[in-house]
Amino acid sequence: MAMVQSRNLKYRVWTARIVMWLFLLVILFPFFMIISVSLRTGNFATGSLIPENPSLEHWYLALGIPWENADGSITQPPFPVLTWLWNSIKVAITSSAMILILATTGAYAFARLRFRFKQQMLTAMMILQMFPAVLALVAIYSLFDQIGDYIPWLGLDSLGSVTLAYLGGMALHIWLIKGYFETIDNSLEEAAAIDGATPWQAFRFVLLPLSVPILAVVFILAFIASIAEYPVASVLLQSMDNLTLAVGSRQYLNPQNYLWGDFAAAAVLSGLPITVIFLACQRWIVGGLTSGGVKG
Amino acid sequence: MAEVKLVSISKSYDQGKTWTLKDINLNIDNGEFIAFIGPSGCGKSTLLRMICGLEDITSGELSINGERVNDRPPNERRAGMVFQSYALYPHMSVAENMAFGLKLAKAKKDVIDERVGEAARILQLQALLERKPKAMSGGQRQRVAIGRSIVQQPRVFLFDEPLSNLDVALRVQMRQEIARLHRRLKTTSIYVTHDQVEAMTLADHIVVLSPLAQDATTNLEQVGKPLELYHHPANLFVAGFIGSPKMNFFDGVIEQNGEEESRIRLTTGESLKAYVNTSKADIGVRVILGIRPEHTLAETDNGNSVDGRIEALERLGAESFIYMSHDTIREHFIVRVEDSLRREEGSRIRVELPPEHCYLFDAKGIAFRRTRAPEIDH
Amino acid sequence: MSSSRISIKSPSAYLVIAIVALIDLVLLYGVTLMYAQGELAFAILVLILAAVGSWVFISKKGYNYRYVYPSLLGVVTFIVFPLIYTVNVAFTNYSSNHLLSLDRVRAIHLAKTWRTGGESFSFKMYREGPNFRLMLSSASRATGEHYLTEPFPETSEPLKLKAYVSTHVPTGAELPIREVIKKRSTLKRLDIVLPNGTGLAMTSLRKFGAIAKVYRPDDRIDREYPEQNYALIDNRTGETIYPDMATGYYTNSDGSEQIGPGFTIYTGWDNFTRVFTDPGIQGPFLKIFAWTVIFSALSVVFTLIIGLLLACLVQWEPLKGNGIYRLLLILPYAVPAFISILIFRGLFNQNFGEINLLLDLLFGVKPEWFSNELLAKSMVVIVNTWLGYPYMMILSIGLLKSIPDDLYEASAIDGATPVQNLFHITIPMIIKPLTPLLIASFAFNFNNLVLIALLTDGAPDMLHATTPAGATDILVSYTFRIAFGSYGQDYGLASAIATVIFLMVGFIAWVNLKATRQLQ
Repeated sequence: MAMVQSRNLKYRVWTARIVMWLFLLVILFPFFMIISVSLRTGNFATGSLIPENPSLEHWYLALGIPWENADGSITQPPFPVLTWLWNSIKVAITSSAMILILATTGAYAFARLRFRFKQQMLTAMMILQMFPAVLALVAIYSLFDQIGDYIPWLGLDSLGSVTLAYLGGMALHIWLIKGYFETIDNSLEEAAAIDGATPWQAFRFVLLPLSVPILAVVFILAFIASIAEYPVASVLLQSMDNLTLAVGSRQYLNPQNYLWGDFAAAAVLSGLPITVIFLACQRWIVGGLTSGGVKG
Repeated sequence: MAEVKLVSISKSYDQGKTWTLKDINLNIDNGEFIAFIGPSGCGKSTLLRMICGLEDITSGELSINGERVNDRPPNERRAGMVFQSYALYPHMSVAENMAFGLKLAKAKKDVIDERVGEAARILQLQALLERKPKAMSGGQRQRVAIGRSIVQQPRVFLFDEPLSNLDVALRVQMRQEIARLHRRLKTTSIYVTHDQVEAMTLADHIVVLSPLAQDATTNLEQVGKPLELYHHPANLFVAGFIGSPKMNFFDGVIEQNGEEESRIRLTTGESLKAYVNTSKADIGVRVILGIRPEHTLAETDNGNSVDGRIEALERLGAESFIYMSHDTIREHFIVRVEDSLRREEGSRIRVELPPEHCYLFDAKGIAFRRTRAPEIDH
Repeated sequence: MSSSRISIKSPSAYLVIAIVALIDLVLLYGVTLMYAQGELAFAILVLILAAVGSWVFISKKGYNYRYVYPSLLGVVTFIVFPLIYTVNVAFTNYSSNHLLSLDRVRAIHLAKTWRTGGESFSFKMYREGPNFRLMLSSASRATGEHYLTEPFPETSEPLKLKAYVSTHVPTGAELPIREVIKKRSTLKRLDIVLPNGTGLAMTSLRKFGAIAKVYRPDDRIDREYPEQNYALIDNRTGETIYPDMATGYYTNSDGSEQIGPGFTIYTGWDNFTRVFTDPGIQGPFLKIFAWTVIFSALSVVFTLIIGLLLACLVQWEPLKGNGIYRLLLILPYAVPAFISILIFRGLFNQNFGEINLLLDLLFGVKPEWFSNELLAKSMVVIVNTWLGYPYMMILSIGLLKSIPDDLYEASAIDGATPVQNLFHITIPMIIKPLTPLLIASFAFNFNNLVLIALLTDGAPDMLHATTPAGATDILVSYTFRIAFGSYGQDYGLASAIATVIFLMVGFIAWVNLKATRQLQ
């Protein structure tokens, strides 16, 4: 705004700035703290924000390297953090890719093709996406118990089962992509059909290249949702080496075995890449959230 | 190159509850340029989209070169189409846009290059081949859209109101380009428009469609050469639709019938002579008399005239239009004069309706044959 | 060119048919397997899905469904089916005590054995190449005479072995006791038949003894008790036991004794009745329901207020460096929630937590964040607000951008203050598009299991609750603990509560749909 501003603007700006920085200080306090904790010695030491005698003990353990204590004893890494991180990434990439493929083709049908019960299916999808998978966990558990009898790598305690279970999150993304498709002029695909394209070719060579932005948003949203998912994974996965990060991290803060320092290092180590991905894609995600939200 | 034949084509979007098009029969000869014209909602675009396969045909038979193509998807019909919105692929350059169809058909690279080059030359697009559609003007995009269908060497060219997004000057220029293109390629073309000037100037034959009335058996009103529609409209609808400004209509009854000339008594009592053949109609039946504004003569009275009050005057310089009130007409009737009239609004004048320019329609709107109008070969 | 366009079945069409045929073959094999195992419902379901899928991908009429079928299949399998299944389970007593079907329980009973007493044999185990052989001897036998079994491999399946009388000692090496213990899983599966027909099974680490089946099927059909096809006769007492379809256990004839394990039965509205009448469930349920609503509402209100104010501030142009502020403010949203929640769990720890250290230093207090009900609830809301405000901020920024500048210019001419602007322009302009999003946010928090499970796990616990319930539990975490907690897993009850929540969420979804429609 190029409006003429009143004279006390300067004071207002400074007040706003101070309020903002104080707020940020409070908000970011946990992050400063966790970095500081990860550099402390031992799991029970308390201390100031800047550790008095920093040690890389927790970082070694988080990276899976045994740590030699000052008294010569060796501490083994308590948990396979890197394995968990790798599990989470595998599950997230596979499930997001599958969601992307299924949601895109589904959204195409809903946006462009004519078939019976389309409107009813869409409304059902809208309502269904609000039911959390958490509530149907008993059913999901039994479902994968059954599947496991025939296909062991999709049974309980397999990463395959978690990957598959996450496909339930697809309904929301179908709506998101459908909304985007509808903003693309239908006559482009008609032109492709006239040019001799089959419906599949029109979809593949015309609609898809034009939809890359929303596809990226959906992939990132699905990826992040999958990384952060806790309930389904906690029920389906059991053995230590199969856990995802979200389920595994909880093990650190058991009242019986309280590994605060080790957790801090593991949290920073595993949280950092995901945070960086999110911040890097921030603009797209924000766009996707607002447009998807407003369009319903 | 192809002949297109439509036999009793109908279209309904709701399983026959309501119809958009009914019983359309057409024979389009090889190399012909046909225009579909009609007000919005008459189904002209739908008919075009049915020919290229973008809409399915509810009933009837469509054949191209004698082969029934009702159930063929668009990609198997070999029709080229130019869309109103151009529908250029935004992520492809001009060259890629034009080559897309050939690539799908797995044409060889030198064939593609040759055809794209040829089309670019014809349409003067050589300098723009690497541009994206976003970076081009409306006229240029239109040319690319045409080029895209040319390179496919389609059997039929279809145009769906291609010029309606252009400004007036560009529209005239593109209209001439399309005419030139058709003379050169001689491909069968079907052109949908709501602009009668485009239809009259471009088409060999014009197909007039009307919005389907409740109980009508068809909404195909007339097929004919441009001047045939002007001089011998088949019915009231065509008479009212072709010509600008619109034809004036007066209610009346036949006072005296005949093969060569007839006499009509308007509901206001004026008795008018018209050169139309009414020998098959009885005296006293209700009719509608029509006359085009450009054929009326203001302030002349050779005995075949009506009296009216000037309601409004539009002076355009070269010509003027007088909007007059007359008791048989609910709205105004329009009179064209070349020089500006000295009379003021509110004054009354007589207007001569020369009998050789009169049209006559029966109560159902069917035209009587005019006897002294120019004859046009069908 | 023209030929490829006119032919309908292109090579790729044949490829599709081939792939569909291949998938169908695999599925048919699976269906046969399922049918053979008695999973009739599953077999039919897969068969139908496969048939529909094949039609969709081969028939020309099914073309439009080709794109939607896979995603619909996903939605049906992973949302609709679990939903129906859950509602179904709600009407059963499915739980850790009633895990199996009646058929399976009957099979378990029929497999039960008991030591008939009499002779017991000590044994030695010999290795013979890859196989083993047992030598069984007993005190009552003449010295030097014993039974030898046939050779047998290591196995995980039940194995029937014949034994014969012999005076020879096997030629292989005798296994030391430590090795024998390692092989006990194989030994436990052996069923050794002596020449006189007596069956022997391992009874202790050093002994084999005579065993017999506890139950045999009751094949008389004239008895007047329910489910008589399933009745069993106790070989020891001759007493008949039969499945009690009211309790889900086998009982003896007068019903005085229940014999585990239980089986799954339909119990009608029992679970629902329990939810609304059993004081140990109804009490916690209502409290938890109230807290869930309060928690969700407070979360929405706080995140909205903070998010909206920050959005206004960040959008305010005189405040420079807005991009950096925005980035830092989004940070709590960017870090995966499960990590932040666990960080807070540590920070709020009563003894080692940094928050209490700070409070102790400043004010000399150490609040009991996890054992005081009110403090625990405040903590949950504080953490959730921290987690959720960036989302509201992002949404608000998007909506604020859509308000035309000239409205503020006009109000500036009228001399409005920033606060007046907020209440008279900003909020009225964005509240309509925001409403469905707020409802969605409410529904999300209503079901925010991750927060509760990772932060407090419901703590502090409620007293007088039949199933574990805590003061900070929300409905989903309560349900989750009933189903998958460490004490007695009652799937039936959990499903009943889940069904009730389904209805509530369904209602919220419906309201949201209305709100969205109204917006359009």
